Amino acid sequence: MPDNAKYWLDAINALTISTPFRIMNVCGGHERAISQSGIRTLLPKNIELIPGPGCPVCICPEEDIYQAIQLALHEDIILLAFGDMLRVPVNTTKKEPRSLEQARAAGADIRPIASPLDAIRIANENSDKTVIFFAAGFETTMAPVAAMLVEGIPKNLSLLLSGRLTWPAVDMLLASGEACFDALIAPGHVAATMGAEEWHFVIDKYQLPVAVAGFEATSLLAAFYSVIRQQQEQKLFLDNCYSAVVKPQGNKTAQQYLSQAFDVVDSNWRGVGSIAGSGYQLKTVFKQHDARLQFKDYENNKRKRIGEMPPGCDCAKVVLGKIYPNQCRLYGQACTPRQPIGPCMVSDEGACRIWFKYRTDRPNEDHQAETVTSA
Amino acid sequence: MTETKDITWAHISLAHGNGGRYMRELIETIFSRYLSNPVLNTQADAASLPDMEGNIMISTDGFTVQPLEFPGGDIGSLSIHGTLNDLAVAGAIPKYMTVNVFIEEGLEVSQLERIVQSMASAAKENNIAIVAGDTKVVPKGQGSGLYLATTGIGIKSGQHTLNIKNINIGDRIVVSGPVGDHGTAIMLAREEFGMHGALQSDAASVLPLTQAVDSIAGLKFMRDPTRGGLATVMHEIQQASGLGVYLYEEQIPIRDEVQTVCDMLGYDPLYLACEGRVVAVVDDNNAEALLACWQQLPQGQEAAIIGKINQGNQVVLRTTLGGERLLDELEDDPLPRIC
Ligand code: SF4
Repeated sequence: MPDNAKYWLDAINALTISTPFRIMNVCGGHERAISQSGIRTLLPKNIELIPGPGCPVCICPEEDIYQAIQLALHEDIILLAFGDMLRVPVNTTKKEPRSLEQARAAGADIRPIASPLDAIRIANENSDKTVIFFAAGFETTMAPVAAMLVEGIPKNLSLLLSGRLTWPAVDMLLASGEACFDALIAPGHVAATMGAEEWHFVIDKYQLPVAVAGFEATSLLAAFYSVIRQQQEQKLFLDNCYSAVVKPQGNKTAQQYLSQAFDVVDSNWRGVGSIAGSGYQLKTVFKQHDARLQFKDYENNKRKRIGEMPPGCDCAKVVLGKIYPNQCRLYGQACTPRQPIGPCMVSDEGACRIWFKYRTDRPNEDHQAETVTSA
Repeated sequence: MTETKDITWAHISLAHGNGGRYMRELIETIFSRYLSNPVLNTQADAASLPDMEGNIMISTDGFTVQPLEFPGGDIGSLSIHGTLNDLAVAGAIPKYMTVNVFIEEGLEVSQLERIVQSMASAAKENNIAIVAGDTKVVPKGQGSGLYLATTGIGIKSGQHTLNIKNINIGDRIVVSGPVGDHGTAIMLAREEFGMHGALQSDAASVLPLTQAVDSIAGLKFMRDPTRGGLATVMHEIQQASGLGVYLYEEQIPIRDEVQTVCDMLGYDPLYLACEGRVVAVVDDNNAEALLACWQQLPQGQEAAIIGKINQGNQVVLRTTLGGERLLDELEDDPLPRIC
């Protein structure tokens, strides 16, 4: 593979692409790399790059975040969460804290962390207290969490687990018949952990081209070229454009940890609903570390808009690639990174946030409105 | 010079701030010893400044860098360079400075001495006299070793009226050297990330750079990109002018070491502080002349024209690949206490 982005860019621009061709990515890292290098401004008009379900924070159930907030407010615990999670708003009354950040301001002991190692350290430093790690993430993030359980987790550390698998969401989307894409770019980090093979279903079940990409412009452009050519020649194969990192079968050790620590169960995705076999749950042997079992469920069934996205927020459509972020009416108006309304504007992996940060055509300027071409 | 006494204490204690004998000794053995000059009189309450004619300019700044000493500088030299650079980019020649010193109880005297010495040589090299000062000691735990605040007074030189409002469509943006060195050097010096490196901060006086272009026609504006880095200065220009800033990624000088460290830690060098660089905006006709002026100086060899002013109303980066994207305004401080 020529290791030069310009080469692939020229190769793509040399192709004749007569009808719109929609390529979906399912990884916030991909979307960021695309936006950061300005790739969208360089491709032929008929190529659409659509951000899909690639942000674990965005699809983390609203009920889980609510539960985390309540635990931190009402129990004598230290709550740890990945930094991105802190500002995601939930649907409460105006008087109650609406995010972990607001709960912290109200006095709860909530600490942002960057890795499960921080959780172990904080638990050890506070051995007289119960520490709860609100662990949300996809396979790659869940593997070290699983390893922590299997290898011996501190006694006082529990998990509020909100782990998800990526491919079932894509499968669900394609099976629904509402998918708005003609080819898929499979996530490089997930494939490195779980093996690229698990994306073969896109070809087998749905006859769509697929390529695994890394996070450099070169790898992404090579993957775009691959899926366009696969489609044009009608020769579909699972192309690995990130072979330096993604090895056949993936990372066996990580997979072993995952299967030792977790069961795979049907799980809820915020704004999307339940997706079969898309979530992780602690195995019963680890039940003494399962915060969902240890603590009472604070969910109040009368709470308004449980599980929903905030009013007016189109994150559910953005997450499934049905619209582009700037097609949401609130984008850049009521909703900005400083005053985010939906989770997609909060997380660094969220498509709205990434677009707002890097896109040159913000609202109020005369730019052509883009819409995801419907099938 | 005051007669030098032996220092008989190893650490600063609260007594050094109490106005009594200890404080007098601290001032005599360290501050007067290194900073003395004909105008500074530690016995008087105020100094009178000779030779102040013309357009007098003043600037003030505080310094809280951690660690106090880092490759390529320390908080002492930084406190001189920082304030003098603010005067320099405004087109002034700095003459006098005052210094406020806030010492945390427990600071090693030997370290304080090194820092004051470095302050003294930075002032001397730039013909600046320290004319007034004050020392306070704060209890342990209420400071990070040492804070400094300096105020500088200078006289405007040259004919230019530098004003961000004079910037126009078609003007060029020039930077005097690689960006992000200081921020990255500080990051490495903290060794928090398990990384080490030989990278030096760019902390220095920019007076030679600003004086060299003093007579260039068409010079509109200069600024030293400290906190928030190059990107932040670009946003200041965008907001004050109401025009667009368009930068060429491949033209912006960045050292390989800086880029590597930033890639590993997820920082963008365009947002990291410089302490010895200048960004200038100059009209198109004089951009090459200004560039040539800088490139002749040892400090300006890597100077480059990195962008232009256009009619947009955003800060846009043309990426190495040729695509375009926004260069966003900094939201959170990427690094605490770097200047
Ligand atoms: S712009 Fe804001 S409100 Fe709209 S979909 Fe994105 S996050 Fe939700």
